[in-house]
Amino acid sequence: MTTAHPRARILIGKPGLDGHDRGAKYIVHILRDAGYEVVYTGIRRSPEEIVEAAIQEDVAAIGLSLLSGAHNELFRQVIDLLKARGAEDILVFGGGIIPASDIPGLHEMGMAAVFTPGSSAKEIIATVDRLLSVRQEV
Amino acid sequence: MNEDIVHLVRDVRQNPVENTRAAARLMSLLENHPARITELYAGLADWPEPLMVLGITGPPGAGKSTLVDQLIELYRKRHPLSRLGVIAVDPSSHASKGSVMGDRVRMMRHATDSHVFVRSLAARGHLGGLALGVRGVLRVMGLMQCQLILIETVGVGQSEMEVAEFADMVAIVLAPGQGDGIQLLKSGLMETGDVFVVNKADRDGATQLQSQLLSTLNLRASVADAGAPPPVCMTSALGGDGMDGFLDLLEVHCARSGDQWLTQRKQRFEQEVEQAVLQEAHRRLADMLRTSGIGSEGITRVLRGETTVNELATALLQLSARGKPPYNEGHVDERRP
Repeated sequence: MTTAHPRARILIGKPGLDGHDRGAKYIVHILRDAGYEVVYTGIRRSPEEIVEAAIQEDVAAIGLSLLSGAHNELFRQVIDLLKARGAEDILVFGGGIIPASDIPGLHEMGMAAVFTPGSSAKEIIATVDRLLSVRQEV
Repeated sequence: MNEDIVHLVRDVRQNPVENTRAAARLMSLLENHPARITELYAGLADWPEPLMVLGITGPPGAGKSTLVDQLIELYRKRHPLSRLGVIAVDPSSHASKGSVMGDRVRMMRHATDSHVFVRSLAARGHLGGLALGVRGVLRVMGLMQCQLILIETVGVGQSEMEVAEFADMVAIVLAPGQGDGIQLLKSGLMETGDVFVVNKADRDGATQLQSQLLSTLNLRASVADAGAPPPVCMTSALGGDGMDGFLDLLEVHCARSGDQWLTQRKQRFEQEVEQAVLQEAHRRLADMLRTSGIGSEGITRVLRGETTVNELATALLQLSARGKPPYNEGHVDERRP
């Protein structure tokens, strides 16, 4: 009988209107291989849908992938909705085509990490591991 | 966040719509500590019961998730006030223990419907098509007053029939192009279906599959002398074709057998509690055996022929009747396997 806990549950979502899901699927893949249970929600989801799914799935973190340029607005909406639902303990990280100049602002709004093109799998997993190790698991 | 099961249960029961977070936490707690389900048993008879628990199973890619999505849509239209729960199980990696749970992708249009609760579970090495956490999630969805609960198994082959233990009814979803009539004759999965769905009915080979299925089911029914064969529905879930007929059929079954299902579930609860009591008694006796000296000394004496297994068991039971070690009321040891 296998009851060993997986490392954590993580939801990967793509808010906004771009359909470029290669990055999101790549992240899903490397997280799975690192031992995480990953809920993938597909492309073109609203922040409301992503937050509600994250709450129902009781994930430890949400990863958002966005290539359309609307990251400042949509990432903020996800963080605000989590707060409104009393679920701000769910970590949010993101990735995509994000100008370096936007990154400090994203951290300030509460994004736990932001990955840009060229981030290695190793670096991403190490960051997610570190972020989630401080979170109290059930 | 309060992780006490009793408090979480109270929160969910008081307001299932507002307290989705408590429900979700409760599910995680029961998934990660399956033994703690025993803490739910006190008062379980008083919990709300769903009208129907439907298992949906079949090979990978047959269209199970899409069928579930359409069932949600249609059921919500027909019963706007009813709540609905979905448990979607996907496989875990043997190598990393990680999992990709993708069933939800097909159901995301219902994500913000407060009457629909979807929970994905990874099988975590559990064989049989489900996950160890299903039992707990099912109970919590009952507590949330879900009227219809759908359990979607991992994509299965021929032997994974566990869903039949949890569901009132099992629908087996097949799609054309996955083997000839001999596959349908085989034992196992094909025997557990209460209703069959030929999905992707718009594709080549669908009517052939339907006729092979009908002839197999008729043959089986006549051999077993078991009355009417299970019905076969033709659907094309992506476009919604045939879904009305499928739900009609489910609702007819529900109206006809609902009371019988309640009785069955009650019997299962009784069996579960019986098992739990036996396990707890076994755990305590085993502790006593190890710590009392009856164990090591007694076993040696049995091997020397100085006493018998029966006498040793009697001694152990007498010792436990004297109440040592004291029973810790309500204490649950999470570390036990």
